[in-house]
Amino acid sequence: MRQPGRYSRLMMCGGITGRSGPHSLPLARIKKIMKNSGEDVKMISGEAPIVFSKACELFIEELTRRSWMTTQQGKRRTLHKEDIESAVVGTDIFDFLVSLVSDSCNSEDIITPVGIEILDES
Amino acid sequence: MEFQNQHGTRQSGGPQRSSQMILQSSGESCDNPGPVMNPPLAGSSDNNTEQRAPQCLVREQDRYMPIANVIRIMRRILPPHAKISDDAKETMQECVSEYIAFITGEANERCQREQRKTVTAEDVLWAMGKLGFDNYVEPLTIYLQRYRESESSDRSQFVKREERQLMDYYPPGHAGQVAMMPPPPPSYGPGYYFGPQHGPPMYDPSTMGMFRDCSSSDAGGGGSSSASGAQGENSLGGFDPFGHFK
Repeated sequence: MRQPGRYSRLMMCGGITGRSGPHSLPLARIKKIMKNSGEDVKMISGEAPIVFSKACELFIEELTRRSWMTTQQGKRRTLHKEDIESAVVGTDIFDFLVSLVSDSCNSEDIITPVGIEILDES
Repeated sequence: MEFQNQHGTRQSGGPQRSSQMILQSSGESCDNPGPVMNPPLAGSSDNNTEQRAPQCLVREQDRYMPIANVIRIMRRILPPHAKISDDAKETMQECVSEYIAFITGEANERCQREQRKTVTAEDVLWAMGKLGFDNYVEPLTIYLQRYRESESSDRSQFVKREERQLMDYYPPGHAGQVAMMPPPPPSYGPGYYFGPQHGPPMYDPSTMGMFRDCSSSDAGGGGSSSASGAQGENSLGGFDPFGHFK
């Protein structure tokens, strides 16, 4: 991959350097959340929040995409919390969010017994 | 659903999060500079959660990513006519924080198992792979590489040192001026995900200004210091700055 000259590279990378230019998500906030994750996190390298800033973008994009599909299925134009809940329930890797999104009073609508049945395979 | 709530707490009609304050455990140092008393009525309803007082509390806004940033990222995905309900925005904020905590927990456990104190970027990437987010690992790896490269190219003190080394290696009298220097080797150790460590300074086309006259306009692609570049050149023997002129 051809690299442009130094100055244009700096400009190009202005968005992702730790020092200059904003990340999409604030690094200090990410670090706080990491520290407060309750797991006795001692020290965090400087690069870890940077990885998370991008990872959270990817995460939000994926969850939004999946939620929007539910919205479209309902022929609606407004993305609601229920769409997010539906996306969470329907995606394996979002299992860790199930209890979070179903904390609302709608839990009986969200947690359907699909997949909880014990299949009798002989 | 109307979001307006004159006490400023984030409620979406459900019973969740009626109390927005979380007491820090006593052993924990509090990052917050002290109680922040926001007026209960304000335009931006997300940040007004504190009604009382002066303990070491995690403010709600510190538990979540700023809602504006979250919305902006969501809007990249959604068509222009789409709307997002307020409870969806809040839910997304909560999900992001939960995601960070989830990954961090796994990464931290690995650190503790290996008796390390610092959660590194590699730990985070490892945890993501382990927890099912392996399709994120590659783009994040590339992102991190680019970040490290851009960081290392910012270090001007390395630039001067490398300048001197290259001046010794290549006798002066070519261009005479020392323009740009190749970036120094990145200072991180061999990464779990990042392939072989760079050896000597990778050749940067911008250094061509040093060795050529102005006739050659294309600096060529050989001097890339990124991962996709000449990774095989780990010894100075393979270093051929004049290769493009042959």
